[in-house]
Amino acid sequence: MKSFRIGIFILIALAQLSVPALMAWSRVQTLTHGRVWKFKTAPVDPEDAVRGRYIALGFDIEQYPRVERLEWNTPVYVVLKADGDGFAAIDQISETPLSGDNVFRAEAGGWWDGKQHLTFPFRQYWVTEKIAPQAEQAYRDNSRREKLNAYVTVRVRNGDAALEQLYIDNQPLTDYLRAQAAKK
Amino acid sequence: MAGSINRRAVRWLRGQLPELVAAGVISSESAGAIERHYGPVESRSNFGFVVLATVGSALVGAGIILLIAHNWDELSRATRTVIAFLPLLVAQAFVVFVLMRRDESRPWREAVAVFDVAAVATAISLISQTYQIQGSFSDFMETWLLLSIPIVYLLRTTFGAVVYVIGTMVWLFSRETFLVRHSNPMLFWILLLLAIPYFLIRFRENRESRETATISIALIVAAVFGVGFTADFAKSDLGGIAFAGLLTAIYLAGMKFFPREDGRLHVSALLGGIGIGVTAIVLSFESSWHMTREFNWSERTAMQNVALAMEVACPLSAIALAALDVARRRFQFSLIAALFPIVTAIIWGVASLCQPGHAESLYRTNCSFAAAAVMNVYALWLGIDILARGIRTNSIARANFGLLLLVALAFSRFFDSDLSFVTRGVGFILVGAGFLVANILLFKKRATA
Repeated sequence: MKSFRIGIFILIALAQLSVPALMAWSRVQTLTHGRVWKFKTAPVDPEDAVRGRYIALGFDIEQYPRVERLEWNTPVYVVLKADGDGFAAIDQISETPLSGDNVFRAEAGGWWDGKQHLTFPFRQYWVTEKIAPQAEQAYRDNSRREKLNAYVTVRVRNGDAALEQLYIDNQPLTDYLRAQAAKK
Repeated sequence: MAGSINRRAVRWLRGQLPELVAAGVISSESAGAIERHYGPVESRSNFGFVVLATVGSALVGAGIILLIAHNWDELSRATRTVIAFLPLLVAQAFVVFVLMRRDESRPWREAVAVFDVAAVATAISLISQTYQIQGSFSDFMETWLLLSIPIVYLLRTTFGAVVYVIGTMVWLFSRETFLVRHSNPMLFWILLLLAIPYFLIRFRENRESRETATISIALIVAAVFGVGFTADFAKSDLGGIAFAGLLTAIYLAGMKFFPREDGRLHVSALLGGIGIGVTAIVLSFESSWHMTREFNWSERTAMQNVALAMEVACPLSAIALAALDVARRRFQFSLIAALFPIVTAIIWGVASLCQPGHAESLYRTNCSFAAAAVMNVYALWLGIDILARGIRTNSIARANFGLLLLVALAFSRFFDSDLSFVTRGVGFILVGAGFLVANILLFKKRATA
């Protein structure tokens, strides 16, 4: 009876380990094999820039001109292309699954003014508590209408999109913060 | 307190037995019979220690996380990944240790269960942070609950079961956002169902135990919220009947499966009874009977029909529970309370069959008022019945609950209707006088008894 219960627990333990392990593994796959895309961030509402320890990201291309409206929360497959400056732009969106290193899954939001709003699966950039205030300030300063200087790199592969790094002034966030601190 | 005194007395008695046998006061057979009567020697179930051990292990877990978080920035992704799994592996090692060596200790079991379940959540969230994974909170809850429920059974932790049931409610609420309302709640019932066998195990072991009562409270509260969300989702205007049915079923099940010699109600019957009273008051408002007429066969999904079936199952199960005992003429429950779902269903039929009223009041039917009036009569009848039962069984609590129901009804009509002040005044005087008279009668009866 005792060994039976321990046997059962070993199965449970494996299940418990496999969930985070699979999450990490599929992300590692995307991060190593996925194609890098640069997404220019949109100006943010300063009040809404940081929620807890996340920087809330927004993207201009999340509003896609489209005649038909999609239902809230339906999954959509976003096909990317590079614009003139080398940033990601939307080529098309599709309700049927597509694959490739330029396709990721997003969710449909509302529709108004002839634009379909989308919710990308990488709208929160996690930072540690230690650097959160400076990171928030830096992102805010570089995501205003008059000064758009932030972008994120995202690895994309067969529907999965893995947020890689937040760049401010062409430097990774932590490097930028370190440089700013050194300047002072 | 009574329990601990009792235990002490039993221990004293056990100590006395050998002396009594030696002195020839009782035979050794009688001594054995007395021993058997009180059952096996109970080890002290130290509830306080269980709580402390549980809280302690949770704190240690949190402390480990904070220590790791300190240098988080400097660590590489791979290192962070390894660290994310450490608390989980430690917790799992503890579980194996407890299963092998400390299986009989309740504090140990409860504590490692909490530690393990918390470590699963920690591992998932640390991995999410490390790899910037953005799942929704309800997806996270779902996975977490499914990974946690086997631990409840394996380590036989009632505390864990209650937390699990609370978790299913958190899942239910997490899906209701500002933009997405009335999402499909069916998975909630599956998640809740997974906790039912644990309740049955505890019930079979000892139906009068505090553990069984605690889980039943959690399950009842969860079921009430679940029916609320299901009714919203089903869009059928049947919410009132579903609630009436559910609460009556809870009341009847509480009376049937937790019978008491002394006439005191088990907590589940008590909650069901209070629920019946509250629902009756809510349904006595005319606005409860404005039919939204959202029901439309052509637009319904299969899942909405399942939700509808579940709504209908609530009153049916209540009726089945009552019918079984009424047919055998052996019941202790209030027949008036048991009629609640049937009364509600009849009133619902009246309200929804009527023609819609004026164009400007879209939701009102010509019979909304009549429907509410019938429910008022029923609530009045119910209040009087509970009051009478209280007086008959000499239960001050029950009598006052009946009175409370009548007062609530009076208050509701005070705010709701256009009765003249004189009528309202007389009504209040009557209810107040009823309160006094009933209590005086009860206390007198008690004093003479």
